Amino acid sequence: MILPYFENLVSGIETKLRDLEGTDEPRARKRFALEIARLGVRLFGGREPVAWCGVLAPFDLLSAMGVTSCFAEFVGAMLASTGGVEPMLAATEGTGYSTDGCSYHRAVTGATQQGLMPRPDFLVATSAPCTGGLAMMENLARHFDKEMFVIHIPTRDEPDVVGYLAGQLRELVRFVEVRTGRPLDRRRLAEAMERTNRTRELLLEVYELARSRPSPARRRDLFNFGLVVSLLLGTETAVDVARTYRDEFARRVAAGVGGVPGERVRLMWLQNRIQFRSPVEQLLEQAGVAVVVDEFNTVTWDSIDPDDPFEGIARRTLSIPLCRPAQRRIDLLQRLARDYQVDGVINPCHWGCRQGTGMRGLVEEGMRQVGVPVLNLEVDCIDPRNFAPGQLVTRIEAFVELIEDRRGARDGG
Amino acid sequence: MSTERIGYTCAYTPLPLLHAAGFIPHRVLPTSAPQIPDLAGAYLHDNLCPHVKRVLDRVLAGDLPDDLTGLVIVNSCDAMRRLADALVGRSAAQVALVELPVCGGPAAVEFLTIELEQLQTRLCAWSGLPPSEDRLRQSIALYDELAGALDRLRERAIDGRLDGGFGALQASVNRAVTRPPEESLAELRRMPQQGGQGRRGVPIYLFGNLLADVEALELIESCGARVAGEDVCTGSRQLTGLGPAPDGPLLPWLADRMLARPPCARTLPERGGSELAALVVQGARRCGARGVVAHVLKFCDPYLARLPRVRQALRDASLPLLVLEGDCTLRSLGQHRTRIEAFIEMLD
Repeated sequence: MILPYFENLVSGIETKLRDLEGTDEPRARKRFALEIARLGVRLFGGREPVAWCGVLAPFDLLSAMGVTSCFAEFVGAMLASTGGVEPMLAATEGTGYSTDGCSYHRAVTGATQQGLMPRPDFLVATSAPCTGGLAMMENLARHFDKEMFVIHIPTRDEPDVVGYLAGQLRELVRFVEVRTGRPLDRRRLAEAMERTNRTRELLLEVYELARSRPSPARRRDLFNFGLVVSLLLGTETAVDVARTYRDEFARRVAAGVGGVPGERVRLMWLQNRIQFRSPVEQLLEQAGVAVVVDEFNTVTWDSIDPDDPFEGIARRTLSIPLCRPAQRRIDLLQRLARDYQVDGVINPCHWGCRQGTGMRGLVEEGMRQVGVPVLNLEVDCIDPRNFAPGQLVTRIEAFVELIEDRRGARDGG
Repeated sequence: MSTERIGYTCAYTPLPLLHAAGFIPHRVLPTSAPQIPDLAGAYLHDNLCPHVKRVLDRVLAGDLPDDLTGLVIVNSCDAMRRLADALVGRSAAQVALVELPVCGGPAAVEFLTIELEQLQTRLCAWSGLPPSEDRLRQSIALYDELAGALDRLRERAIDGRLDGGFGALQASVNRAVTRPPEESLAELRRMPQQGGQGRRGVPIYLFGNLLADVEALELIESCGARVAGEDVCTGSRQLTGLGPAPDGPLLPWLADRMLARPPCARTLPERGGSELAALVVQGARRCGARGVVAHVLKFCDPYLARLPRVRQALRDASLPLLVLEGDCTLRSLGQHRTRIEAFIEMLD
């Protein structure tokens, strides 16, 4: 069921991209979606070694070793976006999984129970960002009866922790070598890391351009972008996708064209978007509200030494605020709020998320310190069954009104 | 004897290290305190486990001993990490976060050793005492003795030779983790060696995370159950003997012993190790239980995610399971009385 979906998606997007050739129409998002669909074909195609992973696994390292890898939550988001998630969630509820657990994880578990998840060659779990994710990975490993490598990611980033994490990554290489029967090719790894670094430079440019006023990003251009693009790191594809975005945004900024017509209010979106079809984005656009930055659309890490990348990959992992104490995340959000000149923040408090949603009050307090209001939406980003669009719309409208009133008062209007 | 305290919230906390630095380790339990308002909700989401929210409530309400110098939080799960986040700047006591690897192995032991060194340095800075291997060795021996005494008391409770049964045992455990260990050990030595009315009730195996209320254990036994074995964070996991300390450096050994404990739901077994489901079945069979009661706090991901496999493993072993979801209040457990009674009746 899932492989044909991705195959159809690939051919559909390829056709659309061909139609766009020679025109000035935006294509970056389609280019990105195409590569994600191709990744889906590789994951579900059964022709390459596959590893289901935790969110913070080193995808470029695995790619350099010839392993197609992906964080398992990706499947939960995909099922929600295609309208296929409800039977998966229902399946888990029928087998005793609590509805208080994260629905990303339950959706993946349900898909596994239904035989929709391809059997991996092995799994690579990460202790961060969340305990629930680690538990899901253990369940997948038990279900598939496959070995799982666990990467422990501490919350500190002192040199001893970098060394500890780098040591685990070297151990991961040995683990993969044994399972694939292919030794790590150091030259291939160095080339992958060079591509990672080039992608990083381009992403920095993309995000810099996205800060422009008006922002060049259309409403879905950078939706689910930061986390998902990490799946492509280490490949020429990632470089190309990032370059396409950079060029497209640069053209729009030069022409003074905003992604959202009549941009009046600029917002930041925290953590994950609502993955199923909802009226939120359209509503925001109609009101002249641009989501100019998503929390995960940022580069927190430095370039990595291609010839000795393990410490660099470890530092990259530890730089991601999801792994760190709440204050590190709040510092980043405050910086993003300033850099992007946002008027407010939407925090979709995904039910079942202890690590992100768990710190709701701390985040709100942190944003208040820099004068940025937060709208906490109590939603489930995956499960549409209890979604109340009317209530959500009313709250967003009231929030936008509040922002505009505050601005009016500030400007003496 | 020490007079200042260090609060802690997780059974993985290295108590001898706290004690050797000159402190009384004091478990901050989320026990029912109805007079304390819900204050944690301002900082942490409602969907976090009631254990950490109740502990935060107690901290914010000032419901902690006056002589509490610091709090040691073990990074054992998302909720504990969020608790540490919320405590910083809001707790009068200082806060130390200790990283805990998710599974064992040489690299994890080495890393945890560094964590313990840093914790030791911090604790000693708080107390003004220099780190001392001799004191640590003595503290390890003391806690081993205390754990042994509690194990013997647990055996008596299991055999029905302890007045008050598991409720009385829990009262002793709670005292042992909130008072100077020397005092607790002396009290345990003074306890009468006879009592109880022998083995009565239907044998059950109890597992889960937190069940520290004495009344909760009394309630379970009053429903006709006899706790024949248990694996609960606030019960047998609370104080576990480490064994005789070696002559060499103690911190690497302590780190190794911490990671070698039987894994709770947040800890993954090393490659090839038994998962929680298998351990529960083993525990239940070993003690001759006719059924299993799981007491799991609401929103506890490590347990919630593993319960279905536990349920299946118990079904395969023909062992009935009753799952009780708690919120750290007696009220919630009281509502389960009828279910517990029905479960015990079914087993009888």
